[in-house]
Amino acid sequence: MNKRVTNWIALGALWAAALTTVGVLGTLLLYVIINGIGALSLRFVFSAPEGVRMEGGIWPTIVATVYVTGLAMLIVTPIAVFAAVYLAEYARQGRLVGTIRFAADTLASVPSIVMGLFGLALFVEALGLGFSMISGALALSFLMLPIVMRTTEEAIRSVPKYIRWGSYGLGATKWQTVRKVVLPAASPRIITGIILATGRAVGETAVVIFTMGTMINTPMLPLDPGRSMTVHLYILAMEGINLPAAYGTALLLVAMILGFNLLARFIVRRNRRMMG
Amino acid sequence: MHRLMRIPATLCAVAVTAVALSGCGSDSREERQVTVTGSTTILPIAEIAGEEFEEANPDYEVFVSGLGSSAGIESVSSGSSDIGSSSRELKDEELDLGLVDTPIAYDAIAVIVHRDNPVDGLTSDEIRSVFSGEVTNWSELGGPDLEIGVVNRDEASGTREAFSRIVLDGDRFDPAAAILPGTGQVRSVVANSVGAIGYISLGFVTPEVKAVEVDGVAATRANVIGDTYPVRRVLHFFTVGPPVGAAAEYVDYVLSSDVQEGVVSDAGFIPYVVERD
Amino acid sequence: MAGSERDMRDAGPGAPGPREPGSGSGVLRQTARSQYLKESSLRALFLACASVAVMGVALIFLFVGLRGWAIFAKVGVVDFLFGSTWLPTEGEFGIWPLIFGSFAVTIGALLLGAPLAIGTAIFLSEVASPRVRSILRPAVELLAGIPSVIYGFFGLIVLRPIIADMSGGLGFGLVTGWLILAIMIVPTISAISEDALRSLSPGIREASYAMGATKWQTIYKVLVPAAKVGIIDAVILGMGRAIGETMAVLMVIGNAPVVPAGVSEPFSTLTTTIVLDMAYASGDHRTALFGMAIILFLISMVLVALVRSLSRFGKQVG
Repeated sequence: MNKRVTNWIALGALWAAALTTVGVLGTLLLYVIINGIGALSLRFVFSAPEGVRMEGGIWPTIVATVYVTGLAMLIVTPIAVFAAVYLAEYARQGRLVGTIRFAADTLASVPSIVMGLFGLALFVEALGLGFSMISGALALSFLMLPIVMRTTEEAIRSVPKYIRWGSYGLGATKWQTVRKVVLPAASPRIITGIILATGRAVGETAVVIFTMGTMINTPMLPLDPGRSMTVHLYILAMEGINLPAAYGTALLLVAMILGFNLLARFIVRRNRRMMG
Repeated sequence: MHRLMRIPATLCAVAVTAVALSGCGSDSREERQVTVTGSTTILPIAEIAGEEFEEANPDYEVFVSGLGSSAGIESVSSGSSDIGSSSRELKDEELDLGLVDTPIAYDAIAVIVHRDNPVDGLTSDEIRSVFSGEVTNWSELGGPDLEIGVVNRDEASGTREAFSRIVLDGDRFDPAAAILPGTGQVRSVVANSVGAIGYISLGFVTPEVKAVEVDGVAATRANVIGDTYPVRRVLHFFTVGPPVGAAAEYVDYVLSSDVQEGVVSDAGFIPYVVERD
Repeated sequence: MAGSERDMRDAGPGAPGPREPGSGSGVLRQTARSQYLKESSLRALFLACASVAVMGVALIFLFVGLRGWAIFAKVGVVDFLFGSTWLPTEGEFGIWPLIFGSFAVTIGALLLGAPLAIGTAIFLSEVASPRVRSILRPAVELLAGIPSVIYGFFGLIVLRPIIADMSGGLGFGLVTGWLILAIMIVPTISAISEDALRSLSPGIREASYAMGATKWQTIYKVLVPAAKVGIIDAVILGMGRAIGETMAVLMVIGNAPVVPAGVSEPFSTLTTTIVLDMAYASGDHRTALFGMAIILFLISMVLVALVRSLSRFGKQVG
């Protein structure tokens, strides 16, 4: 009897913990949606902020965010995928692999502010790239690298061994097997990892504030500066003079992140149906 | 204002200036360029007015950078800028540089408290002792027995610099005071905390908060222009000799009512021109 | 997939020309050698890509280190780390109040967030039906994706006034920081703990139930102890996330560079001071900010090393 009661209480507590977590998420989303929906309009999305109070829209910050994360994705994808191929297919366990994994784990846990200062010191100042899309993208790619590496490696490892044997049996070389068999089979999960890492980069603030600057500018070239949506939201929130624009920006940001998550989930699910 | 905008904006402006200057040697182009260097407080006005000026006069280019008032004064007197913007008066040693002063706006700072706070006025000394942390309870200032919650600005803020220079008079801010990097947040925090006190540019005061009288003078536009309200300073454009050419047109534009009632007021400053009308 | 099988024998662009049968053993050997060269140069390329991670860590160390080390030399390690006054504009570079702030806000957030996260993880792994799980798990993952400025914005606009009303102060301080950070670390801790729980063999659950244990007894006496190392890893990584968090904390703690007199008094952390001060810092002040970044980097590296040695230890024990 006693142990029954304890059981029910404890399971109740677990329910409570899970519901609290989800409740907070719900509150956060509802709050952003309710307050932000009023600010949204075509003009808000497609026009530039004007004047000291930043009335008007946030178009340049959307362009800057998409630009810098897209560029970072292009930079990081080949490197991270090849790195994962090495770890999953070529490397033998040893010191070297241990060092690489330790480095990747460290990179994954470097505080983003440290990554921001690093980007400032190396890309903006030492390499003379200035506050620019390319500086921001390079710094962000270091942030995304361990995430894409890990998901890609897991994806490659989850490809059944016998598929490889089939390929080898037909006389294919290792690279042919990787390129024609393993990577295609692993691609949905790899793409999912890239999408999630890009979503993370979209939400990043401390890195981009020190690498692409805070100037409101619609970037065209990789060397152009710009202000990301997150930085814009930060400035709007702290200035506190145009809160509707802050809510609107927050809502668009959340919508983008949600979009990335749903897209990743959709790819996984579609793939599962195809495989299963 | 947008403190985080400053460094990049500055660097970009400098870079753009360098490129533009090296890129075009012809005199006629250079005559159509105006370089404004100096006070970070004036940066948003000068920049936005510059953009509007360029829009109205597509032939002209205005390059604005915020490196600080002293740098602005040095830059204009050495000839590397057309206009030096400054949020302080000239020092004695700068008086014989031959600079001509064009005041463009007042920067007045209101000391704000919660609307329910019964304290209506403070002396400069009282304000100083509150912000330096010597006085910590409203009862010492004729108010209720309530702890004072001091709200300070971040060190990159021009408002903080001005407030420190005018009111603190060499004393340090209380290091335990909350630091907020934005005018609107100072206002909203003071608006919903009964014991709070903060300072913001007069132009940003709204009925959400109460601006107290300082040394018996209410914080109003009239008292700022009439030079009776103590917590204020004048924002200047300095030129070597009276402004000429493109610089003169830009200065005139900044003094026009479009800018004075537009950007200058939006940025929380008090127009200078009104006084002369 | 069908296409890839058909192309199986295609060596791709850059491969040596025709390979009709009977074109001679010399060609075959040539093909083999060029094939070998290609394979080994690709291998080298992949290794180079994998080494980018190592290079990244080295570059961070080098560039942040180069900019920051001078402050340790100038102020002295002890005076820098344990000096009690941070007044950079007057040449006082003691970062003890900031270190204190970073740890104080992190530990409190862990005390609040870790039980919530571990509870959520146990719920998702052991209690929830597949249907409930399929709804809750994506939600927890989404929580990890929400940008920290949005947490900060929410904390500033919604949470701070509530704390202010309750404490009578301004609402900036440890309590507000704890609540915001606790939520932010839940997804990190929960995801890793859940992985640890799910990787346990189902046999031990069944064995426990077979002995008449209730669900909770199984969780408490069998599963959590078995997944202990994984859960501790999760908490350590959550700690890393909390101590490095910047924007959300910046917006709710009031940023006074002092050891706070109470839990609802303003204070600063290492990360927030870097962001606020970079806007105007120059000279030694800027060097000191990079010096603080070195410390943050070292802390995160120590935490990662801790996790790695723990899981090695865990493997030995298990």
